[in-house]
Amino acid sequence: MSSGLITHIQRFSVHDGPGIRTTVFLKGCQMRCAWCHNPETLRPDAEIQVFPERCIGCRTCETICRHGAHAFTETGHNYDRQLCVVCGECVDECYAKALVRVGEMRTAESVVADVLADRAFYEPTGGVTISGGEPLLQAEFTVDILAQSRQEGIHTAVETNLAWPWRVVEPLAAVVDLFLVDIKTMDDEAHRKWTGVSNRQTLDNLRQLDALGKKITVRTPVVVGVNERPQQIGAVADFLAPLRNLDQYELLPYHSLGTGKYESLGLDEPCPEFRAPAPAELERLAAEAAGRGLIVKIAGGAFSGTPLSSPDSLA
Amino acid sequence: MIDSVCEQTDYASRLEHLRRRKEVQTREKLDRQGPMDEDDYGMVLPPADFCWKPKANHPNGSFYGLEGWCDNFCDLLEHHPVYVDPMDALAGRYMVLLNRLRECKWPPQYDYDELKPEHARYGIISGIGNDAHFAPDYQIGLELGWGGLLAKVRKFRDEHGPEKAAFFDAEERVILAIQGWITRTVEAIETAAEQEMNPVLLDNLREMAEVNRRLIEEPPRTLREACQWIAWFNMVSRIYNRDGAGGQLDELLRPYYERDRQEGRIDDEDAIFLLACLLLNDPHYYQLGGPAPDGRDQTSELSFLILEAGHRLKSTCNLTIRVHDGLDPRLLRKGVECLIEDRKAWPRFSGDKALVEGFMRNGYPAELARRRIAVGCHWMALPGLEYTMNDTVKINVAKVLMVAFDEMIQKDSAPSMECLWQRFEDHLRRAVLCVARGIDLQLDHQHENEPELVLNLLTHGPIERGLNVTNGGVNLYNMCVDGAALANAADSLAALEYRVEQQGRVTWQDLADCLEGNYPGVDGERTRLMMRTAPHYGEGDSLGDQWALKVSRLFTQLVTEQPTPGGRRMIPGWFSWADTLRLGEQLGATPDGRRAGEPIAHGANPRPGFRDDGAATALVKAIAAVQPGYGNTAPVQLELDPCIAQDEAAVDIVSRLITTHFELGGTLFNVNIVDADQILAAHKDPSLYPDLVVRVTGFTAYFANLSPRFRQLVVDRLIRGA
Repeated sequence: MSSGLITHIQRFSVHDGPGIRTTVFLKGCQMRCAWCHNPETLRPDAEIQVFPERCIGCRTCETICRHGAHAFTETGHNYDRQLCVVCGECVDECYAKALVRVGEMRTAESVVADVLADRAFYEPTGGVTISGGEPLLQAEFTVDILAQSRQEGIHTAVETNLAWPWRVVEPLAAVVDLFLVDIKTMDDEAHRKWTGVSNRQTLDNLRQLDALGKKITVRTPVVVGVNERPQQIGAVADFLAPLRNLDQYELLPYHSLGTGKYESLGLDEPCPEFRAPAPAELERLAAEAAGRGLIVKIAGGAFSGTPLSSPDSLA
Repeated sequence: MIDSVCEQTDYASRLEHLRRRKEVQTREKLDRQGPMDEDDYGMVLPPADFCWKPKANHPNGSFYGLEGWCDNFCDLLEHHPVYVDPMDALAGRYMVLLNRLRECKWPPQYDYDELKPEHARYGIISGIGNDAHFAPDYQIGLELGWGGLLAKVRKFRDEHGPEKAAFFDAEERVILAIQGWITRTVEAIETAAEQEMNPVLLDNLREMAEVNRRLIEEPPRTLREACQWIAWFNMVSRIYNRDGAGGQLDELLRPYYERDRQEGRIDDEDAIFLLACLLLNDPHYYQLGGPAPDGRDQTSELSFLILEAGHRLKSTCNLTIRVHDGLDPRLLRKGVECLIEDRKAWPRFSGDKALVEGFMRNGYPAELARRRIAVGCHWMALPGLEYTMNDTVKINVAKVLMVAFDEMIQKDSAPSMECLWQRFEDHLRRAVLCVARGIDLQLDHQHENEPELVLNLLTHGPIERGLNVTNGGVNLYNMCVDGAALANAADSLAALEYRVEQQGRVTWQDLADCLEGNYPGVDGERTRLMMRTAPHYGEGDSLGDQWALKVSRLFTQLVTEQPTPGGRRMIPGWFSWADTLRLGEQLGATPDGRRAGEPIAHGANPRPGFRDDGAATALVKAIAAVQPGYGNTAPVQLELDPCIAQDEAAVDIVSRLITTHFELGGTLFNVNIVDADQILAAHKDPSLYPDLVVRVTGFTAYFANLSPRFRQLVVDRLIRGA
């Protein structure tokens, strides 16, 4: 049984595929999308998030850390990532959740057990979605979770960038009912600029999956300054129009919900100029794509379907 | 009170006028009376110069018994202002709650001083002296009318003779007073009609006068008359003692609607307007759909029209859809669409399967269980057949747990979870017995305190027997006993087991000291957070979930294992109503990391922020698992992000949550769909959001009319989840 590194499991997930789903977020991604709102999933290793505003100043982390990664000065808590070995001992003692470990090793079997917890809610259209990060960075783990879920009769979906050789993608086809794939832009040069990766494999693999008859939803995160022009969306739609198994094309307006996370991870904040298109602009883009005969949806923005909470602040 | 002529008289414009007028009236209530942390009730303020005070018949300044209540009610109705709005299809609003004008709500000669120490010790709300909280059968009134009810009272007075004459005399005077109030209203309508220039409104007023003139004596024949009759009953019942129980509204009104339609008297637009006026008149608790006694679905065209009326009205509303296997799926869908589109926190959804099977566990047949419907804040009742004290009796189980904890620390040389549980069981048993004795006291003397002179009229038995409903007037006494603070008790037990016994992170005594000092200083705060981050209820298969189940089973066992000393059956549920603040104020710091005085968790809900992902599915499963299972409810109170309104699939998703909860054994489902930014802005300046409606607990309310503390409670729940 394979194991893998996950960031978290989201029950009652309603944006990552149809119906009520459980989404498993895997850690690690080979792309570096400049607007990424899940930066905690980027690195392929466990790491520590720091939320200074939650710190109560008990200094337990400083006391127990054997590597000197935590220190308190007149400016408050200081955390040195260079010294930290991510043993997690400080996290276990930080009841205020000012220190949070992101990245947990799990077996596929234990993940499936979590997926089954909400089995009663999945009918008729819901199920499990593997997301990330990039699931194919942990391909065996991903396939194992999906295969076992399928054996339980649960609908399976995967959210992947498909920027992989076909031989990596192909095993997924046997265990996935729905592929959720981003096309950020058809312009390969721009794609490399904004994500660090070419879009060629993504586009090739989409054609291959379509030829196999796999159901596909394609999505474009729409970011002003990156891909918000009608001709850019039109180009994506032109590519999608011949696909026979395209379920729908979704436009996902950029949102800045992930920006606070960067600081907690010691990363630079994304480009501050990024913003979402206005609703009217989005409607125009949707019309542009729909003009190619596609079913186009504009995602509802921040809807999580969950209570409006961020993690328990413990206030 | 007469409105000026308005040019727009189509139904949409009239409803808009009525809705805005209600918002103004709501604002006036806030300005004159201050915040009200409870139901909207549909009450409007009397004119500023209205001054009426009840007459005491007891040295303590209060009034009691048949005479006290009858005299005051009749005098109040004689002076109660009349209300006519030419835009409204229905006449009347009520402006006074008589039962809130008493100095003391229980006659001192029946003191229960011996119970009070335990009430304080265990955080018990005894229900002693509380009125209403059972359901009338409107069918009785719709069939007889006020004249028929009067004849019925006189008939049975003659049969019973002088021994019970006082009871019947009081009932007779109550009806005559009601007829007098309606008569005065008719005169006001006629006066208004004389002044009305708009032909549409003039026609409306003429018909309104005709309807009401007839209803003084006769039973209703048309949908308009039936709506008006129900409105009158609701108003007088509210005036008497704030009763808010409704009925199976679609079935009650269906014959009138069908007859009107067959005879071409109205079309569906007329019906919707009439129904909207009824819902505006008072947000009573009505059930729609659900099984008839034989199991057949009661959904009718009228069920949909009532939902549509509420949808167009867009105000506070307390409609409940009874979800059962045979329910027309379109009704559920329409209800969820209203919930999502209007964001007024209605309708609610009631889980038939667990409710019927649960009530049958008390020894009742399925046919009777199906007639027990959702007509109160969280509660179920057999209309006109049982007395219940629903939602008036509560035990704060977290307070009981802390009594056990403190006692263990003081007396046990080797504290342990086993010792704690044993002491908790002992004290909870004592708390239940104390509650049971209070229920007996209520049933023995409530008729001498506050006879139900209005609700008796629509109950099967009191008039026939000459006995108040609380005193042998009905055959069925199923007394509601709710637990409160389930999550606080369960999380405390889980935290103690995990941190103290399993991990040894803190000793029993050190924790006790910390609780005593309310988690003082940085070390105390660290301990508090340590306890708070222990496994807790709602996470799913956690230690907290196990303890919640164990606490609920114990509570259920103790409430059901034997009747009250007086032989009355008790039925358990979990519900805190709007008492989360009050019950929290009485409670010191608890081992779940809750500070002294903070609110307790809501009803059967896990605490806010119970999971990092706040998953609604986890909430729904957790609450389904802790149902007591005897036919009363332990509701879900769910808060959802409004962006679902932009998502076509949202109706499917919310429907699935609801139906799965009921498949898993759930009993009642309340949902708020509220925008976080909007609720925060409204909290800052409520006056900017006069139409913002939230489901506080079992009831909906205008957010602007809640007190700052209560708004904060709602905000915390909405923002931090569940």
